[in-house]
Amino acid sequence: MIVESRELRLKHRIPVTKTEKFWKGLEEGKVYKTICKCGRSYYPPRADCVCGSETEWVEITGKGVVECFTVVHSIPSGYEWSKPYRIVVARFGEVRVMGWSEEEIFVGDEVSLYTAKDGSGVWKVWFRKG
Amino acid sequence: MKVGVVGVGCSKFGQREVTLQELTFEAVKEALKDANLSQEDIEISVVGCVGTRGYELMPAVVVNEYCGFAGKGPLRVEAACATGSAAVYTAFSSIKSGLADIAIAIGVEKMTEVDTATSAAIGGRAGNYLWEHHFYGTTFPAYYAMHATAHMAKFGTTERQMAMVAVKAHRNAVKNPKAHFQKEISVEDVLNSRTITYPLKLYDCSPISDGASAAILASEKAIKEHGWDAIWIESVGFSSDTSNMTMREDFVGLKATRIAAEMAYKKAKIDDPLKSFDLATVHDCFTIAEIMAYEDLGFCRKGEGGKFIENGESDFGGKIPVNTFGGLKAKGHPLAATGVAMVYEVVKQLREDAGKLQVDLKHYRALTHNVGGTGHFCWVFIFGR
Repeated sequence: MIVESRELRLKHRIPVTKTEKFWKGLEEGKVYKTICKCGRSYYPPRADCVCGSETEWVEITGKGVVECFTVVHSIPSGYEWSKPYRIVVARFGEVRVMGWSEEEIFVGDEVSLYTAKDGSGVWKVWFRKG
Repeated sequence: MKVGVVGVGCSKFGQREVTLQELTFEAVKEALKDANLSQEDIEISVVGCVGTRGYELMPAVVVNEYCGFAGKGPLRVEAACATGSAAVYTAFSSIKSGLADIAIAIGVEKMTEVDTATSAAIGGRAGNYLWEHHFYGTTFPAYYAMHATAHMAKFGTTERQMAMVAVKAHRNAVKNPKAHFQKEISVEDVLNSRTITYPLKLYDCSPISDGASAAILASEKAIKEHGWDAIWIESVGFSSDTSNMTMREDFVGLKATRIAAEMAYKKAKIDDPLKSFDLATVHDCFTIAEIMAYEDLGFCRKGEGGKFIENGESDFGGKIPVNTFGGLKAKGHPLAATGVAMVYEVVKQLREDAGKLQVDLKHYRALTHNVGGTGHFCWVFIFGR
């Protein structure tokens, strides 16, 4: 015999004030990493370096190289609106960037990044070949 | 102060229509009986439960009360899929520190009370929600699938080799009445099953299972007093890695495993694992995970894991039988229960009490390897008789 629990809906208010430049940047077609004078680079970006200093914002440009990818067919809750999607991780110099791609991209391919909204209206990083 | 395992218990894994606490008691009862103890003898209870899929959001006291341990702790621990090992480590530490002589480590998970899409969304949060799942819908299989594409590209590892891991797991599980899956499968069955997240197919993935397991640990002093034939914890190693997958060193292995193994081997003075252990349980939540584990644990060189399974080296009669009870892949992977169930398996094996799945013992030593998330946590324990 089974009984149903009472429904509990969790939707969080996430403060992104310290990384606002990144979130605003996506809407302007820019993807930022942060760097510190101690030599560390961060992507995802963070305002605080582990050394204790504040980091600086630097745009990621140029070509990246794909290190791994997958195509998600078993869609998680929250992404019901999407058809199967390709997640790609590419290296851009000191940092790696995760993104989606609508092209058939494989390990070793050279890619460039751009930003666009996904089907749920969230701005994010996308990759195209070359 | 040496610490040994004196009692073990494990529930049947699978879709279980009992509550979290009822399921736990199945394992606890068996462990108490195995050690010939009652609840009063236990000084500290450690409850491992990831708990993110259950309706009891703070499950430790619920479990503790039902098992008759109210007043004995509980300490609740969480380390994603390595929660069970974190529980064993905490019980081990409490004895090592002299705070207790007898402690119980419990691992329990109810995973089948929510639907699969919800479960996938929760599993996809076993990393860094804000920077990965929020934007890109990463799922737990997707994280391992990305390691698979990197491993395939760099070393030529094939989907067929990955399928062989699943075939071995199912073949062992049919002889383990507590395993979730009770049927053998072929390489073709795996290759023809539907894609979950490329290149992983349904049969490359561990199932969504409920399960509980328990291990009672005791100090050398208590072991002598009770006259137990204990299985000793000879060594433990642990490590962790970044929450963001993009910040890892590489995607062809798990650094946390390499560091944890190195720490455990060093303490136990192990030079060659293949000449030191009679068996190993490794964290095969996905078939690629077992292939990477062979390499990261030093059973073969990096990149040769595919050949290792293909040549039968991890099967009965091979260089080191791996996951003799069916592994996470076929026995089931109820997150927190997994790490303690690994202890259950090696204790049964080292006592020569593993029935049809018994391995031949030469070294009287075995290894457990339990990963949390995608190498976010790792524990390696070495047990000896």
